[in-house]
Amino acid sequence: MLEQLLIFTRGGLILWTCKELGNALKGSPIDTLIRSCLLEERSGAASYNYDAPGAAYTLKWTFHNELGLVFVAVYQRILHLLYVDDLLAMLKREFSVIYDPKRTAYDDFDETFRQLRMEAEARAEELKKSKPVAKPVNNSKKQGQVQKVGFEGGNKKKGGSGPGSDGGDGNGRKMENGHANGNTDETKVALVANGKENASSNIGAFDVNKLQKLRAKGGKKTDTVVNKGSKVDPNKKITKKNRVWDVSPTESKLDFTDPADQNGDENAVIVAADEGESMMDKEEIVSSESETEEDEEMEKDSKMETKKKGWFSAMFQSIAGKANLEKADLEPALKALKDRLMTKNVAEEIAEKLCESVAASLEGKKLASFTRVSSTVQAAMEEALVRILTPRRSIDILRDVHAAKEQRKPYVVVFVGVNGVGKSTNLAKVAYWLLQHNVSVMMAACDTFRSGAVEQLRTHARRLQIPIFEKGYEKDPAIVAKEAIQEATRNGSDVVLVDTAGRMQDNEPLMRALSKLVNLNNPDLVLFVGEALVGNDAVDQLSKFNQKLADLSTSPKPQLIDGILLTKFDTIDDKVGAALSMVYISGAPVMFVGCGQSYTDLKKLNVKSIVKTLLK
Amino acid sequence: MDELEQWRIQLQQWSRQGAEWFHQMPETQLYAAIAVVFVTTFFLLSIRLFKRTKSNTVVLTGLSGSGKTTLFYQLQDGSSHLGTVTSMDPNEGTFVLHSEIAKKGKIKPVHVVDVPGHSRLRPKLDEFLPQAAGIVFVVDALEFLPNCRAASEYLYDILTKSSVVKKKIPVLILCNKTDKVTAHTKEFIRKQLEKEIEKFRASRSAISAADVVNEFTLGVPGEAFGFSQCHNKVTVADASGLTGEISQLEEFIREYVKP
Repeated sequence: MLEQLLIFTRGGLILWTCKELGNALKGSPIDTLIRSCLLEERSGAASYNYDAPGAAYTLKWTFHNELGLVFVAVYQRILHLLYVDDLLAMLKREFSVIYDPKRTAYDDFDETFRQLRMEAEARAEELKKSKPVAKPVNNSKKQGQVQKVGFEGGNKKKGGSGPGSDGGDGNGRKMENGHANGNTDETKVALVANGKENASSNIGAFDVNKLQKLRAKGGKKTDTVVNKGSKVDPNKKITKKNRVWDVSPTESKLDFTDPADQNGDENAVIVAADEGESMMDKEEIVSSESETEEDEEMEKDSKMETKKKGWFSAMFQSIAGKANLEKADLEPALKALKDRLMTKNVAEEIAEKLCESVAASLEGKKLASFTRVSSTVQAAMEEALVRILTPRRSIDILRDVHAAKEQRKPYVVVFVGVNGVGKSTNLAKVAYWLLQHNVSVMMAACDTFRSGAVEQLRTHARRLQIPIFEKGYEKDPAIVAKEAIQEATRNGSDVVLVDTAGRMQDNEPLMRALSKLVNLNNPDLVLFVGEALVGNDAVDQLSKFNQKLADLSTSPKPQLIDGILLTKFDTIDDKVGAALSMVYISGAPVMFVGCGQSYTDLKKLNVKSIVKTLLK
Repeated sequence: MDELEQWRIQLQQWSRQGAEWFHQMPETQLYAAIAVVFVTTFFLLSIRLFKRTKSNTVVLTGLSGSGKTTLFYQLQDGSSHLGTVTSMDPNEGTFVLHSEIAKKGKIKPVHVVDVPGHSRLRPKLDEFLPQAAGIVFVVDALEFLPNCRAASEYLYDILTKSSVVKKKIPVLILCNKTDKVTAHTKEFIRKQLEKEIEKFRASRSAISAADVVNEFTLGVPGEAFGFSQCHNKVTVADASGLTGEISQLEEFIREYVKP
């Protein structure tokens, strides 16, 4: 069952919440959702999992961008509520009708909601029932598709999620199935299909959406016709609908919605709208797509032949301002933007996700007059980039060092990263910077693996005239680091800089050793050193490092990467995308930027110039 | 397309007629018309400039979860409605304070902006600071100590912003949620903030060589930092957004945005 349903403005005011559901939520899932998902440009995803002691919720949301509204549904993770997406969409439609920016209380919406919910639940039930009853041809086709999806899901699952939750889910699903299916013959088939669906729905809600689409297709035989020709045959629709209604015992319930619409329209129209929602949408999209295509063609024409007509209409459109933006309008601009980001060395996955999130934030918005779609998209992207790159936590290391000093503890920084990115060199630069600010520094040579690593660090230490803690090679780096920290506590050093051996993110034994080092010593800062030259691999590196640190940790709150040191920044010209990829994937800020060979070549990241370069 | 073609022809006709009519006019009238146009634009521009100098904007800022949005709706509607969640966009409104609606006479409305406190949205604050007549820095008095350092860092950033220092925008440190029993007193909060800012002053002045964001340093060198050393006026007050105890906040607003 639903735990909670909220409607609030982007400004943060709750406009309406379901009182019937008034269950007290454990923890604060909504605030967590906003802080760690919506504000991190991850709103392109379809669901968010919230974990708190004694509570595991899944949250789904939808935006109404024109009115600046957010609709959020919260439910227990173990229940796979299939109607939530539907319900949110209906809620959005109904609420946007009565919404008024001046009004802040919507008590009368309760009644509408009750009906919407019943409707959604009935429809979900409907789909479950109609699945085994559907015609064999249809069924097999659908199943083929489902199986394909399920297969993909299964594959992905092998890579990731644990088996524990899976089993629980399966049980829940089976139970649902049990009472949904009347025919024992088909139960088996449905179970198999459902089991696979289950696997796919586990890996992410994107697949859930897909499934729902598939399911919708299964329910409506005429759908393909509608897809191709944008004309809807009303007769066909109504007959098909009747068939569905006859099967269902909930006809009275569904009829119930008519007074709720209160539009005073014809009965038939409303009924059609109720069932054919997705079709209506599709039709609209198709028509708008063709329109935009025309527009584009016209623009092209005007460019080539400099026709006055094209120029005039474009002008007219820009003055009048276009009606609500649709996904199809945004697509060309977003694609161009994505390509531009990728030429700047942003990892493809990241560029894709960012564009999705920007699309989600713009869809349905009104285009202001005298603006073009591309410039609107660009502005939205700029805002998103600034938001991502602005550090979430304080990056004032000196402040933290002073705080640690007060507690008479050395401030421990561990440098981690893949081979040859410049960990030791930049460690020396950081040491130099700290020395300049009257902080006593000690180096710990925990790279006990590569020949010459200790000597290299010793050379730096001699030049900077700071103590170095070394134990030679072939020792356990975790123990060396521990002894170094003890030594620093004894002789009163403020900061310990721990150098580690470079390792590839896939090297399991070495990652285990790193995890041990981090867990044993509990450093104040785990600094990931990454080179700015890296492209798509940045995502893999950071996510694997974080994953391994989390997986191999024994404590319930594993220490992950806290900050990023971006090296070789002087070699990349305008291809600054690695900074964005790294920050997006890890959520950690770029604390230092290495930009040269001498000790002084350590800078801070200038967010504004990075964003400017990215969008140039 | 045909319609557009028609439109174009129509427009051309109109322009031709206009040009003819223009030639028939005596010159003096034309000059007079041009003069009138110039005078009105100048007048409108000057009105706009004049308005800018007397801003009526009050900016609510502070960490996420300190109660800014609740205070905003308390000021506007006198109620916190159903509650609030973390803001994603600023709330803006130009209104007569709720407590003053009953008063007679013409009251100048206040433009209140509630800027989200989430650190990712901090850059938005810069958009509103240049036009601010007053800044309200909201502090959660209940959960003060865990957030003390973050709050004082944010406050430090605001107090050293060039737009704030140059225009001497007054700052009110508002200790919210004082209706709760375990809330800290405003004196305690003031002292803690001063202490933390003192530490920041040390570390930030060291960092300023590498970073040019903060051009201004706070306080007098060699002395412990106190809010009295700021160029702009910094005061401390209590409030409770949930129960609507916001008289001190309203006083502050009315001090700098005259009714």
